[in-house]
Amino acid sequence: MYVRAAKKWNPWPYVFTFPLVVFIVGLVFYPAVVTFVDSFLNIDVYDNTTKFAGISNYVSSLQDPSVDHSLVNTFLYVLIGVVVSTVLAIVFALALWRGFKGRGIFLAILILPWALPGVVEGIIWNWIFDANSGVLNSFLSSLHLIHHYHLWLSGNRFLTIFFIELVQIWQITPLSTILVLASLQSIPKELYDAATVDGSGHWRTLLAITLPLIKPGITIAIIESLVMTFNVFDQPFVLNGNATTGSSIMLQTYNIVFSSLDFGKGYALSFLAAIFVTALSVGVLKLIYRRVEY
Amino acid sequence: MKNLSKVLLLAGTALTFLLSGCGQSNNSAKGGTISVSNDPRAYAGQTITVVFYYPEPKKAISEFTKKTGIKVNWVNMGWDQVQTKITSSSMAHAYYGDVVLVDWSRVGEFYRTKWFEPLNAYFPEKQLETDISAGKLKAYTVNGSLVALPIDTYVSTTYVNKADFAKAGITKMPGNLDEYTADLKKIQSSGVNPHPLGIPFAAAEALSTTWYDLTAAYGGEVLSSDNKPLFTSPSSPGYKALTWMVNAYKQGLVPRGNINLTDTQVYNQVAQHQVSSMFEGWSGMIGGFFDNPSDSKVIGQVQYIPTPGINGQAPNLYAPDGFGIPKTAKYKGAAVQFLKWFYTPDVQAQLAGLNDKNEDILSLPVSNTALNMMVKANDIEQANTLVNLLQTSAKPVFQNGPPPSYSKFSQAVYTNIHSAALGQETVDQAIQAIAQAASSN
Repeated sequence: MYVRAAKKWNPWPYVFTFPLVVFIVGLVFYPAVVTFVDSFLNIDVYDNTTKFAGISNYVSSLQDPSVDHSLVNTFLYVLIGVVVSTVLAIVFALALWRGFKGRGIFLAILILPWALPGVVEGIIWNWIFDANSGVLNSFLSSLHLIHHYHLWLSGNRFLTIFFIELVQIWQITPLSTILVLASLQSIPKELYDAATVDGSGHWRTLLAITLPLIKPGITIAIIESLVMTFNVFDQPFVLNGNATTGSSIMLQTYNIVFSSLDFGKGYALSFLAAIFVTALSVGVLKLIYRRVEY
Repeated sequence: MKNLSKVLLLAGTALTFLLSGCGQSNNSAKGGTISVSNDPRAYAGQTITVVFYYPEPKKAISEFTKKTGIKVNWVNMGWDQVQTKITSSSMAHAYYGDVVLVDWSRVGEFYRTKWFEPLNAYFPEKQLETDISAGKLKAYTVNGSLVALPIDTYVSTTYVNKADFAKAGITKMPGNLDEYTADLKKIQSSGVNPHPLGIPFAAAEALSTTWYDLTAAYGGEVLSSDNKPLFTSPSSPGYKALTWMVNAYKQGLVPRGNINLTDTQVYNQVAQHQVSSMFEGWSGMIGGFFDNPSDSKVIGQVQYIPTPGINGQAPNLYAPDGFGIPKTAKYKGAAVQFLKWFYTPDVQAQLAGLNDKNEDILSLPVSNTALNMMVKANDIEQANTLVNLLQTSAKPVFQNGPPPSYSKFSQAVYTNIHSAALGQETVDQAIQAIAQAASSN
């Protein structure tokens, strides 16, 4: 007769995960709940009064033309950032995966921008984009591609967003590359051997085997870049100041809270932004992510 | 598994309430009246936290500790970070320091929010006025309440590169705004410098202060004593000042790339000999940054001139840094002792770099006695011009202190002037948008 042994309760997994739970509850869950609750309040710092405001903070956020303007800017940041960084990440990861001379050095250089703080990057790129004596103008001028120095930032809204986002792409592509590379390295070599035996060429192998099998890595890379581009703050702030041409939704939230001292509206806007970016991430997950088992 | 989820959820909720309770308990730090002993050693053994954007002047602080027994935890934080810290900590009723940097621009806001202890009781106005000019104190006083104490003498001044002016054939320095404009055009047309004027057109605070200064140069003010806009009419000084700035940019007097430069970058333009003049810059660069061989290519070439106004010499706006005691401070008595020590003329002179440049954390001392000590010791470059400006024409930016919603107002000022310079809106549209922000204060 087979007797199933009683499963002994093991407390250690709970003990070990408890600090993490405390960390997440304290630094993520609790502030999120407080933000949500306070977003329904009208907090008047001048009269030191707090009144229930219903959904008026949400309504005034959505009806604020400067919020609408920065929301459109943010969508452009996301669109440019996610598309370009993901394509670059796939290209770089494939190159690194195949291997070449100097791979280690290339990898180290690739990771460098990721390690730099956003503000430091902003300062470096300020020097590059400077319309008086910047490196980009100087370089293009020396090649006789331009006849006078151009104003890369501030002059045109879309050009401003494009150049600011280039800086962020420079920063987020390394992490995306590492994520895609990790997926590539987990594909069994036997699959490629079988494809070669079946006469599959490079492109066919790439499209039919490699890309479908690295979808989990690509999905995570897209979500990572989506969250980062949606929350873009340092780069527009350092490169373009508080000018409306490049203002992002996070910059707008910062202004509402710290310049206008309108805390309820700021909380409502940041909560809306969090919901939005979460919904977009879930959408990407549902659309692209496929479980891969070998 | 379901039970486990419930346990985790309950634990999470309990922890949230626990943390929420912790947050509430900090409300007790709201503060009240400070009872301060006159004995400087009454607070010996306490450690106060001082938040400022310069590194600690170690020698002076150790002398303070020796004298009072009060230890100092000096927190060196960037200007922007201090501003964010004040707002977030004050909102959370959390302790963040006992003596904290208060910028002149937030005085109106702090008067209304009551985030700082009024200092009148510990520093009677009559006593202060014996050594600090009334105009300087006015920058930190709203409706009679001394929100913080000014700690230095930052005053806006006009800088010119006299070598460039001479090269263009200008033998006499401009005495009014029309002459100044004509001289800049002469420097431009003579080829000495194609873009001679440095104005920081980036959408940031320095653009707003340039406008306030130019409005004063046109003989007016930006806001009335009850914070109503005074610049909407095309004949008003504020309107003319904005028009002058936009024209200076569009006519190429200002380098095109200055649209993204802040004030510190424009100081660098002066030092690197990229521009020949700065209409509005903070005092103290001569003998410092502009004459430092490692930073500057124009050593000995830059001088102050009386700020050119439409009818001769214009006012020099006074915008000092200050120290305040937050309502949430833990050691308010010790903080008052620190401020009393800080305002003694010897300490003021020492902290302005007299005898030891390593101790230099103040542009110029706020104490008149200390200022005279430095002038006598020949420690201030072009002291005669500067002291004359301070004594005859310095005045606060806003006569009744900055408006409570100054940050919001200033944001409207700099974003709209920036857009007008780029031609994204007209001067009139910029003026109307700024006026709307002023009216909503």
